[in-house]
Amino acid sequence: MSLSASNPWPKMTSRDEFRFLADVIFSRSSGDHTVVTLHDERAGTTRFADNRVIQNVDTRRGLLTATVSFGRRHGTASTTDFTAGAVQDMVARAERIARAAPEDPEYLPPPDPQPFPVRETAREETIADGPVRRHEYANEAMSLCRMENLMAAGIVSSSVASVGVAADNGLFGCETRTKAQFSLTVQAGDGTGETGATGWSAAAHRSIDHLKIQERTLAAIDKAKRSREARDLPPGDYPVVLEPAAVAGLWSWLIWTLDAKSYEKGTSPFAGQLGSRIVDKRLTLSNVPNHADLFGVGFTSEGLPSEPSQWIEDGRLKQLAYDRFTAHTHGIKSIPTLESPVLSVKGASFGNVRELLKQIDRAVLVTNFWYIRSVNLRDLTLTGMTRDGTFLVENGHVVCPVKNFRFHESPLRVFQDVGVATVPTEAVTPEAGKMLVPAMALPRFHFSSVTRF
Amino acid sequence: MGAPTWDEFAELALARVRRSGVEYGDIRIQRSVTGHVRGEDGRIASVRDAEDGGFGVRVLYHGAWGFAASSVLSLEDVPRVADLAVELAKHAASIATEKVRLVEEPVYRDRVVTAVRIDPYTVPLEKKTGLLLETMETLHGRPDIVRSTAEIWWCRDRKRFQSTEGTVLDFDLSAVNGSLSATALFNGRFATRSFNLPYLRQGYELIEETRWSEEAIRVAREAVEKVRAPAVADGVYDLVLDPEHLSLTIHESCGHPSELDRALGYEANYAGTSFLTPEKRGTFRFGSPHVTLVADNTEPGTLAATGYDDDGVACQTWDIVREGVFVGYCTNREVAPKIGETRSRGSNRADGWGSVPIVRIANIGLEPGEQTLDRLIADVKRGIYIEGHGSYSIDQRRYNFQFGGDAFWLIENGRRTRMLRDVIYHGITPEFWNSCDGVADRSFRRRYGFITCGKGQPVQSGWMTHAASPALFRRVHVIRGGEES
Repeated sequence: MSLSASNPWPKMTSRDEFRFLADVIFSRSSGDHTVVTLHDERAGTTRFADNRVIQNVDTRRGLLTATVSFGRRHGTASTTDFTAGAVQDMVARAERIARAAPEDPEYLPPPDPQPFPVRETAREETIADGPVRRHEYANEAMSLCRMENLMAAGIVSSSVASVGVAADNGLFGCETRTKAQFSLTVQAGDGTGETGATGWSAAAHRSIDHLKIQERTLAAIDKAKRSREARDLPPGDYPVVLEPAAVAGLWSWLIWTLDAKSYEKGTSPFAGQLGSRIVDKRLTLSNVPNHADLFGVGFTSEGLPSEPSQWIEDGRLKQLAYDRFTAHTHGIKSIPTLESPVLSVKGASFGNVRELLKQIDRAVLVTNFWYIRSVNLRDLTLTGMTRDGTFLVENGHVVCPVKNFRFHESPLRVFQDVGVATVPTEAVTPEAGKMLVPAMALPRFHFSSVTRF
Repeated sequence: MGAPTWDEFAELALARVRRSGVEYGDIRIQRSVTGHVRGEDGRIASVRDAEDGGFGVRVLYHGAWGFAASSVLSLEDVPRVADLAVELAKHAASIATEKVRLVEEPVYRDRVVTAVRIDPYTVPLEKKTGLLLETMETLHGRPDIVRSTAEIWWCRDRKRFQSTEGTVLDFDLSAVNGSLSATALFNGRFATRSFNLPYLRQGYELIEETRWSEEAIRVAREAVEKVRAPAVADGVYDLVLDPEHLSLTIHESCGHPSELDRALGYEANYAGTSFLTPEKRGTFRFGSPHVTLVADNTEPGTLAATGYDDDGVACQTWDIVREGVFVGYCTNREVAPKIGETRSRGSNRADGWGSVPIVRIANIGLEPGEQTLDRLIADVKRGIYIEGHGSYSIDQRRYNFQFGGDAFWLIENGRRTRMLRDVIYHGITPEFWNSCDGVADRSFRRRYGFITCGKGQPVQSGWMTHAASPALFRRVHVIRGGEES
C-alpha cells in the first residue's frame, strides 16, 4: 500500500505561483513598501510509543504574510487562505494597521534586491517517499527493540515546504526545503519509575535516505541496556565527556545570546567582549550553509542571503547577530546569519566518542542534556538535566551507568579549557535543532544535584 | 449558490469516513484570529494581525488512529483529507499490537461562547499603541532602566467539532493578555522585573481594568532595587511563594506528572514520562495534608474551561491531590480505560486545526487554606518571599526541579524586609510538596494562564490556568544563580 500513490497531495506553491501571488499583493497595496513571505508546508509524522504507532498524521498548511509600510509606519497581517478575497483582505488589514500605527524609529525599507545563493535545500526522495518511509522506518525501529525485549518511543517525520520572500522593490527569493527526522528513546525496565533505564538517538537531514535508522536504533538500544541499575554519584565538580548532542545543547544558548542589540545596551553576557577571547583558543564557530548535512538556506525570512561566515575564531568573538536596524547604525551592509553552525576544535582528530574515551582516566560521559534554561544571563549560567545515558568512565572504558545529574554551569566557563575532542559530528536535539559539533572532554563541570533515576 | 457551510463540510467529511468503515471519526474546522501589539525600548516594534484557518479529520480504524489536516477548506480538499486520514489509520492498523478503545461519552449538541464585554477588535489601534508607549515612557522614567517591553495580545477561535457519534459543538472562544517589563543596569550588572496579566478568557476589559501606569512605576522601581540588591547566600530557607510563582511550580511539578499519557509512556521520547505511575494512585503521599490540588475545567474565564475538549467530552472538576495524597489524572477517551476509568476527564486538546489532540494539563489549582498572608510570613524566621516566574527546569520524570523567580525579598523574624537577587531553589517534587506548611486563604487566590506549554511531537502549545493562594514551604535548598559579582 503506497500512501503517495493512492492519495497524491496537491502540489506546493511553486516559484512562479509565489511570484504571481506577490505581484497581486503589490498591485493591491498602496503602501510605500510591501514585503510578502510564503511558508507553504506539508509535514507528516509517524509517532510511536510502547512499540506501537500512537499517531499517524499529515498536515498541509500554507501561510502568506504581508508587511505594508507608509513612511516609518508599518503593519503586518497574515492568512492561511490563498483565495483572491482573503489575500485582498490580508493586504487591507496590513494597510489599516500601518496607517494607524505610530512611526517606528527603527523601521527600514526592505533590503535591496540581490541574487540569493542557490543551495540544495530539497531532496526529491524526501518529497516522493516521505509518507511511506515514515511508516517503514518506525516499524524497523520498533522491530529491533522488540527483538531485544525493549520498548521504543519515537518519531519519524518528513516535510516539504515552499518558502519565499518578495518585496515591491524587486527583492525575490523562493526555494523548496525538505526535512526528515528520526528520534528514538529506548526504555529498558519500566522506563518511567525510579529503576527504568533509557537510551536515545536522533537524526535529521534534508534527505530521508540519511536517517540511518538501524545504526541509530542500535545506538539507542545499546545506551538503554548499559543504563540499567544506575549508580549514585554525589553532586559536585567532575571531569566530563560531552557527546555532540550535549555540546550542541550548551552551544545553542551561547548562539541565541549573541544578539547585537543586547550587546549594545549592556544586557548581554558578552558585553564589551567583541574581539576578545571568550572560549578556549582552539574553538572556532562558523556558519557553513553549503554543508550537505546541515539545513543551510539561500535566504532568511527578512530577505537576507545566507553566506559562510565565522563567528568565533580561535576562541575570539568575531561576530554578533545583528538585526537590520542595529547593523544599519553601525554601517554594516552584509549581515551574517547562523542557521548552519559548525563548531570545531583545532587539532581534534578522533573520529568518534569510543576512540576519544580511550584517552580518559575518569569522567562522567553525558549523552544529552534536557530542559536547559538560563539561570543568569549576565554570565550565561545555565541549568538542565543529563538524560538518556549518563555513565562513569574510568581508564578508557564505560564502567557503569550513573543517576542523572542537574548541572549548574556556564558554557563561558566550561569551554575555557577544552581537552581531547572529536571532529565535528552531526548533533540533533529537540531543543537545539541540528549542528555539527565535536564530542569533547572538559576538565571541570559542575553538577549541583542528582535525581532519582 | 453560496460557498458551502461548515455544516456541509463536516457532513461531507464524516460521510466519507463512515463509508470507509471507521469505528470513530471527527472533524474540527477552525478559524482563529490573533492580534499582537509589541513595544520594545520605547517604540512599537510590531503590530500583527494573523488569520489561521483550516480543518483536521481524525479517524479510528481497526483500533488505530489516522489524522490529516489542511488549510484549504474546499469541496476538493475535504474528501481528499478525509480519505488520507483513513489511509494513515489503515497503515497504523496494519502493524498495531493493541487496539485503541474509547470510553463512552454522551452525545452533545451545544455552543460555547466566551463572555466578552469589550471586543478587542473594536478598540482602535491608536488606543492600544498609545497605552503601550505611555507605559514604556513611564518605565524609562528611571535613569537606570535601559530596556523595556510592553505588549497586548488577544485572540478569537471559532471552531466546529463534529463526530460520527453525533456530537456537534460550536465554539466562539476569546482570550486576552498583556505584560510589561523593565531591565535595569547598574555597575555592569543587569536585572529585569516584569508584570504579567493572567491570560484569561475575556475581552479587552482585562486590559482596561489594569492600572498600567501604577504597575509600570512599581516595576521600574523594583527593577532598580533588584539590580542593586545583594545576591542570596546559599543555604536552607523557608519559602513563601506568591500565586504567580506557584502557577509555574504547580504546572511543572504537579500538572505534567498528572498527565496519564505521560505516565503510560506516550511522551517518553520528548516531554518525558511521570513518577506518578498508576499503582501510586490513591496511596502515594505527594504532599503534606495542606496540599489539595484540584483540576477545574469549568471555572469561567480560565483557559481550559472550553465547555468541551477536542474529544467532545464535557469539561469537569476532579481531584489530583487530596490532602496530600495523589488521587487522579488528566485523561482522554483513549487512556482513561487503561487505568480502569469509565469516563474521560475531558483533557484532550489540540493547539489548532492542524494538530491531533493529546492529553493536556487541566486548570489545576492549589486549594486555599485558612491563614492570612501576614500570618504565613509571621511564622518564618529566615526565609524568602518569591514573586513571579524566572528560570525553571525539571527532569523528564518530574522529580528533580529547579526554579528561580522574578523578584525576591528576604524574610527575617516574621517580616518581609529587603530585596535579594539571583535566588534559585531546587528539590525533589514529593519532598518539596511535603514541606508545605500552610496556604493562605481564598481572598489571596489569583489565577495565571499558560499558552506555551510544549508537549507532543510535532510540538504543540497547550493552554491552561493555575490558581493558588500564597503558600509556605519549609527548609528548601536555595543556591545563588550565577557566579559574577
